[in-house]
Amino acid sequence: MTALWQLTLLETKMFFRDKLQVFWTFLFPVLMIWLFGSMFENQAPEGFSFASLYIPSWIGVNIVTTAFFTLGTVLTGYRETGVLRRYQSTPLAPWKILFAHTIQGTVIFCFSAVVLVVFGTLMFDLHAPVYLGSTLVALLLSILAFFPFALFLTSLAKNVGTAAAISSLFLNLMLFLSGATFPLEMMPDVLQYIAKILPLYYVIELLRATWNTSPLWENWTPVLVLSCIALVSIMLSSVFFKWSGKAE
Amino acid sequence: MENVIIVQSLNKSYGTKKAVNNLSFSVKKGEIFGIIGPNGAGKTTTIEIMEGLRKKDSGEVSILGMNPEKDRKVLNHRIGVQFQATSIQKKMKVKEALKLFAAIYNKSNTGDEMLKLLGLEEKMDTYFDDLSGGQKQRLTLALATLHEPEIIFLDEPSMGLDPHARREMWNIIRSLRDNGTTIVVTTHYMEEAEKLCDRVAMIYNGELRALDEPSRLVEDISAHFISFRSPDFPLAQLHQMAGVIKVEHDEELDAFKLYTEDLQSCSYLLFKIAQEENYHISDYKFERGTLDDLFVHYLQGGESA
Repeated sequence: MTALWQLTLLETKMFFRDKLQVFWTFLFPVLMIWLFGSMFENQAPEGFSFASLYIPSWIGVNIVTTAFFTLGTVLTGYRETGVLRRYQSTPLAPWKILFAHTIQGTVIFCFSAVVLVVFGTLMFDLHAPVYLGSTLVALLLSILAFFPFALFLTSLAKNVGTAAAISSLFLNLMLFLSGATFPLEMMPDVLQYIAKILPLYYVIELLRATWNTSPLWENWTPVLVLSCIALVSIMLSSVFFKWSGKAE
Repeated sequence: MENVIIVQSLNKSYGTKKAVNNLSFSVKKGEIFGIIGPNGAGKTTTIEIMEGLRKKDSGEVSILGMNPEKDRKVLNHRIGVQFQATSIQKKMKVKEALKLFAAIYNKSNTGDEMLKLLGLEEKMDTYFDDLSGGQKQRLTLALATLHEPEIIFLDEPSMGLDPHARREMWNIIRSLRDNGTTIVVTTHYMEEAEKLCDRVAMIYNGELRALDEPSRLVEDISAHFISFRSPDFPLAQLHQMAGVIKVEHDEELDAFKLYTEDLQSCSYLLFKIAQEENYHISDYKFERGTLDDLFVHYLQGGESA
């Protein structure tokens, strides 16, 4: 087996050895949906079901969770303890390390999405996405926007503690202000404007639309915004990503 | 013996602080070369520049005839590195780490002989985090030697090891050398430098203070002294004795240390005076200085200079 696949496999295994990570990525979203579902199940807008709006939202939230915690915070820890620097003195190409982690993150995210869909189908009669292809492309685009975005932000942190704090801040902000958990219409105008500068808002817009009403090409705004975020954060993360926590 | 490492006039600063100052030395094939000095002396910076992980400001560094900054990709196949920090993922099992590194170096075996030597066979299913300090060091050493490199860089290999584990580590390092590997090791344990290294470079404040075989270094006159105890020998009289360089006095124990160029004639004088004046002398000894003493001597020299 090549080093790239070996590393991907190992990192995936190690994720499942961390019980806390498993809880926040797999169990927490399910608990939240169950909780909110029991409160708001009958308040969904005309023509939508609770599950068809909030399962896609939480799938979006899980992209953020994986990006910030499974990828960003873990890599900051590896930078702090010298794991990344250790690789540098081996023939393993740097891009392979990042690629392995990106695949690992994507695989774990896909797992969590399947868990959510199965749960939604069993508990809340979730229907399959109306525009399945569009939904899948939307997910891919969201991953491309969020993984490098999180890598960039957490690489500004000197240690795991700070990285986790940055990650929690962003996750909580987006969790409550992007419409993922509470309907935005319930919020004051100011907060509704703030929502629109948060990247997760566009992920949720796009996922809900492609799941229920319209294909990708009828949702230009979120597609454009997410593409821009993807481009900018890929550039920023490749410039600012460091292999060592020490001064050069 | 050919030189496999040549360092010439190496300089490196962090901001205004000079970490390495005009450092030059070379390492011969098949020797254990020690870089010793206190914490913050510039040992790690020097070794990381040789590994190609850090950029130098000026000077020349040649590793196996190559430039570590430009030829790192090729060199990484031929050198092995053990880091100071234990830099393996906590939740990785011993056998997983070995398999991963074997894959990285494109090796089909995971160095079974080495594992036997290191006594890690029974720990294959243990997480890195659950290993003892000595086992962690042995695993990172195994990972550094898996691909049979020509040069191995070890940064503080016996840090945090108990005396027994330290001796085992030395035996492993010696057996690597006996197989023809060149070893560069940093340490701040003088005992380690003295017993393990074939030659040592002593660094302080990024500057080279001494470079030789450990036994030759300690033959330096300043590291030889006479020690004895006496309740009544006046300190002033010792200072006035011919040939005495320095006197150290421990008042609580009534213990003296006489540093001199000529141990024999100084001893003669000492006993002559004692006999004439009826001073009492006990626990008399010729002491051969250790690297530790020499090191302290250089440090004090460095501070007064």
